[in-house]
Amino acid sequence: MQKITRRGLMKLGIASGAILTTGGMFKTNALAGSIKLEAGGKDFSPATGTERKMIPSACWNCVTRDAMIGFVEDGRLVKLEGQPNSIRGLGKICAKGAAGINQLYDPDRVLYPMKRAGKRGEGKWKRISWDEALTELGGRLKKLRDEGHPEKFMFHYGRMKGSSSKIVGIFLDAYGTGTKGNHTSICEGGKWTAQELTWGKHYDNWDFDNTKYILNFGSNVLSAHTNHIPTSQRLVSAMVERGVKMVTFDVRLSNTAARSTEWVPVKPGQDGAVVLAMCREIMNAGLYDKDFFKFIKATENPDATTDEKVAAIKAHLAQYTPEWAEKISGVPAAKIKSIALEFAKAKPAVVISYRGAVAHYNGNDTERAVQMLAAITGNIDNPGGRVRPAGNKWKSPKGPENKPKSKKLNLADGFKGQAAYPTHHINHQILKVIKDGKAGRPDIYMWYCYTPVYANGECQENIDILKDENLMPYNVCINAYYDESAALADLILPNPSYLEWWDWEDHVSPKQIPEYYIRQPFVKPLGESRDFKDVVCDLAERMGFPLGFKTAEEFVKVSCDTTPGIKEAGGFEYMKANGVWHDPKAKPKYFGYKKEVKADALKEEGVILDEATGVYWNWKKSTAKSEAEAKEMGYTKTKNALKGYVGQKIGDMVYEGFKPDGVNKSGYFELFSELLKIKNFPALPTYVPIPEHEKMGPKDLVLTTYKVSVQIHSRSTNCKWLTEMYHDNPAKINPISANPLGIKTGDAIKVKSQIGEIKTTAEVTEEVIPGIVAISHHLGHWEYGRYASGNKAPMAGDDDPDLKHKWWDSYGVHPNWIIPNSPDPINGQQRWMDTVVQVTKA
Amino acid sequence: MSEKVDVTRRKMVKTAGMVAAGVAAAGLIPAVKASAAGEKAPRWVMVFDLRRCIGCRACTVACKAEYDVPLGAWNTVVNEEVVGKYPNTKKPFLPIRCNHCEGNEADNVPPCVKNCPEYPKERQKFETPDGKTIRYRDGATYKRPDGLILIKNEYCTGCGKCIEACPYGARAFNKRIKSGKDTSKNGITKCSSCQHRIDQGVAPACVNICQGRARIFGDLNDPDSEVSKLAKEFELIKNRDKSTLLPAEKTVPMNFYVDPDNALNTKMARKKYEKMASYSCKVNG
Amino acid sequence: MSTSTMEKNDTATMARQRSDIYGFLAMVYRQEVTSDFLEQIKDPRFLGVLSDLEIQFDDDFLLKPEKELLEDLAVEYARLFLGPGRHISPHESIHHEKDNSKWGQLWGDSTVEVKKFIEATGLEYQPDYKGLPDHISVELEFMQQLTLREEQAWDDADTEGADSCRNIEKKFIEEHLIPWVSAFCEKIMQEAELPFYRDLAALTRKFIEFEQDEINR
Repeated sequence: MQKITRRGLMKLGIASGAILTTGGMFKTNALAGSIKLEAGGKDFSPATGTERKMIPSACWNCVTRDAMIGFVEDGRLVKLEGQPNSIRGLGKICAKGAAGINQLYDPDRVLYPMKRAGKRGEGKWKRISWDEALTELGGRLKKLRDEGHPEKFMFHYGRMKGSSSKIVGIFLDAYGTGTKGNHTSICEGGKWTAQELTWGKHYDNWDFDNTKYILNFGSNVLSAHTNHIPTSQRLVSAMVERGVKMVTFDVRLSNTAARSTEWVPVKPGQDGAVVLAMCREIMNAGLYDKDFFKFIKATENPDATTDEKVAAIKAHLAQYTPEWAEKISGVPAAKIKSIALEFAKAKPAVVISYRGAVAHYNGNDTERAVQMLAAITGNIDNPGGRVRPAGNKWKSPKGPENKPKSKKLNLADGFKGQAAYPTHHINHQILKVIKDGKAGRPDIYMWYCYTPVYANGECQENIDILKDENLMPYNVCINAYYDESAALADLILPNPSYLEWWDWEDHVSPKQIPEYYIRQPFVKPLGESRDFKDVVCDLAERMGFPLGFKTAEEFVKVSCDTTPGIKEAGGFEYMKANGVWHDPKAKPKYFGYKKEVKADALKEEGVILDEATGVYWNWKKSTAKSEAEAKEMGYTKTKNALKGYVGQKIGDMVYEGFKPDGVNKSGYFELFSELLKIKNFPALPTYVPIPEHEKMGPKDLVLTTYKVSVQIHSRSTNCKWLTEMYHDNPAKINPISANPLGIKTGDAIKVKSQIGEIKTTAEVTEEVIPGIVAISHHLGHWEYGRYASGNKAPMAGDDDPDLKHKWWDSYGVHPNWIIPNSPDPINGQQRWMDTVVQVTKA
Repeated sequence: MSEKVDVTRRKMVKTAGMVAAGVAAAGLIPAVKASAAGEKAPRWVMVFDLRRCIGCRACTVACKAEYDVPLGAWNTVVNEEVVGKYPNTKKPFLPIRCNHCEGNEADNVPPCVKNCPEYPKERQKFETPDGKTIRYRDGATYKRPDGLILIKNEYCTGCGKCIEACPYGARAFNKRIKSGKDTSKNGITKCSSCQHRIDQGVAPACVNICQGRARIFGDLNDPDSEVSKLAKEFELIKNRDKSTLLPAEKTVPMNFYVDPDNALNTKMARKKYEKMASYSCKVNG
Repeated sequence: MSTSTMEKNDTATMARQRSDIYGFLAMVYRQEVTSDFLEQIKDPRFLGVLSDLEIQFDDDFLLKPEKELLEDLAVEYARLFLGPGRHISPHESIHHEKDNSKWGQLWGDSTVEVKKFIEATGLEYQPDYKGLPDHISVELEFMQQLTLREEQAWDDADTEGADSCRNIEKKFIEEHLIPWVSAFCEKIMQEAELPFYRDLAALTRKFIEFEQDEINR
């Protein structure tokens, strides 16, 4: 093509002008207004050096959800910091939180609705409009609903908290499906069930601010925790400023173990033996808390005296000598004794526990034993102990008044008899249950903040099932990133990053005073991404059952403007400007169980006393049809009896006690569990060996997985600043185990379990106990974009100058390929830490 | 408290919207007090309290964000090393950043500045908190009277001699910027102690984010500052050999370590590094 | 007609013609080709002008049924500018190299500069415009508006105003169009599979070169 001459220009100009005037279809002007020369004129130069604008919001990279602030410069989010006015976070966030910006500007982000173009999983996609996407999805959803089968729409989420949980919950209820899945059983659901069986509502707050001694079983609280920043910084302060001793039992020298006063190595899954032996020593030394025993249930008899209870516990624990525990756990008997006595004497003291201890076959009773250790020493709900959190009470819109009765497919609780009380469900079995088909199959399987392929064990089977169009006719993925599961979807709806959406939030504060906070967008959603909460409002509208609010912002606004306290402080406007609020007059909440129930409450219609448990309950709130039926069935065995719980009779008094949640336990702190006894499990916390470990050969090792401080479980490797620091995870083996196998650091090795084999490299190290191989579980992605896997997402751009400077090409391995999906028989918790493997040179 | 610092500090507090009393102060450096000598500049130092470092690397990420440091370069990292035999294994953490060295006793010029061909350049004035003026020379890399070792990219030729001169590997090329004088070469990235923040009375980004409060930043010339108190309590100045990195290099570092577990006696601490990337930020977990 | 009026008219016409070309090109990049737009381009008179400039679309373009052609062009547009697949981001901050690190990414320095530049002239972004401020089509549309304003100034015999417009145009062309549009068009010419976008990219490039000469006259 030649140079354009003035003459050529004239012709082109005239022709172009004709198009512009004739067509008149320049409907999509980007600019409005008119040019004002006065405003331009001489001073016409873009200003520079604007100040960064501060916006308060909340993190979401992990479930801790710290309140934070961000700085926006010229429309671009440049920096995240902790919220200095938060009583939870005290102005801090962690590395993962600070790297959240990388997710917002991830060059591999999904920015448009995408429809599968080739075969499922082939990686071919077509960009479609939102209208097309919602017309298609809405049409399918409406058809199911109109046909009377809303339950064939399954919604499976990884994280929904605060207002997200409410809004999407309202949508699902209004739609009429109860077919839901979550992710708790691959996290720590087993711990929660064990708590529900002992003290009611799940979650334990660790009161490091007031404690004098810390015992840790399997928590890496200084690197990762469901309440990481609020707890871990208080832990550091307690240790350094007040000289508090911390002893960590772990199979691995985690950062937490490394910073503890003492690391005590323990064999995998044998924490329970140590804890039971400690309880025995404390009881025998008479160091138990007699006053707290009043609230403990230790025998079948609800009216047992303290002496009877003490005797029963002592009798049960007699078998668990420290010498016995030493053989099983590898922890020296003398150490067990000395730490037990130190702990019991250092009141208040706190015992903490997490997945290292509970993601095992015997995890339910390990957590119950930990609860026992805290209870017998009186370190429950007291300042400095293991405390039930103070929840907050957001008010929010309830959604449409006339909701249909929900129908559901029973897909979320595993196969019949797999677990006795899966109160947090068995989501790692969901795909297997769908494949089996006996409980039905969803026509639409939608997942949100979740990656069924990667986050569960048995990756290959997950892929095979999700890929099979006969089993899974229609897969819908809500995500901002192209991960391994998105690759197997039929429709991807682009969610924004959490830095672009609205929420109110409510996570636990270690201060025992509830904190209220919101998440607000720093920038408007990039591309065509749309907050899923707004999308459900739209879908509901399209299907003819509007939710009563049109956007998440509106929902959050109404909540802020109606919640007592926040309303008076200035409601939504206050929260937008300040981000956090707590009642300045509130007192920390402790000893809630000691509160007496008012006599009036016992006289209400329907309230009866259950003689077998000493529980006052209102049978009308249960499924019982008459008082006679309620009395005959009794509190423990009547469905939903816990909903009518009023109080616990202890002697002549009635206390609020430890209110049940999830299961029909009494108001006692139940060391003796009638519910477990009914299901033929030991009623008192009991040591149970792990079947696979009993049969191990001399060269077998136990596979342990763990988290490092700079990655979230499965959703952070697209954060370039994190993955730059951590993109390889060699298998860690102690020399005592590696030497007989002839394995040295850097050797290529195979790690083989009963279901498969992975190849990786070995790191022979003194950081782990002999007998295990430790592989972290963040890496080994085969999608999730270039920083995570080297693979570009199909719809990605190159909009990041750092792409040119990425210097790593190793992406680590994912251990879940060889970990079976296998539940704890009591609570359904995935047994992450039980897999027996053989390690050989590759 | 001098008027000037007070004003900028107040301004910054307002800017950040952290008006609520008490907690708000957490992110701020105590205002600089004029010392008795009057003409003294503050002497900014960092104390790393290793009892408090939990190896979380939030400092590293905060710094990446503050400066948009490109991949392949860092201004601060946390090193770690596994020491001892199982079951008595230990894992000390060692945070690293530019030591903002005083320079050896002969000329008070640290090696990076000494080796910079574009130093000294123009005369500059530094105003102390009480309004006195101290004169100094700037350069492509230079030392400000308050002890900060800074870079002026407009003088920089991208020769890389400062990188070679630093025994701590605190400097690296920034592959996303060009050096001011030679656009065929890259400019330098290094820790500036967040000069732009501290000049406004706000703590450096790494200090702000550190949940363990292991990084304590302040004025050593102010006897009431936290760093001065720590220096006194742990005899950090007196025992430089045990409280600073590579004392044999005689660079007189101004980063001090409170180190009850002898992390400075590990291999990682006794080694010389070529650049920040040599630390490789090894994360064990 | 006096000489000065002649000049004025000439300059006014010139501004108008440039404005229309900017407007046309803005439409090319704003979105997928609509059927109205396609019909106008297929007008023999327009094709004739293009032909004079040595732009001749192929038979597919001329003969394919409209629906099919629109689909082809939409696929090509998406492939080139949106993805799926590798694409050429049509934003200045991706292509406009800077000495600092704030380029090569969306919402870089250029984005901010363009936004401020445009807003400083009194224009604002439509509330329902969902794209980024430095999209190629926005920059072209901005020039369309500027040159249109220039025409009006000439028509009003407001020489000062017209000069002012020329200064703003010059600044924007030099600071924003020249540093990236040629390179951007080059990339399209390499990546395009259909002659439509390849040739219009060539046209865009030549036009910007023309503008560079013109504005310095």
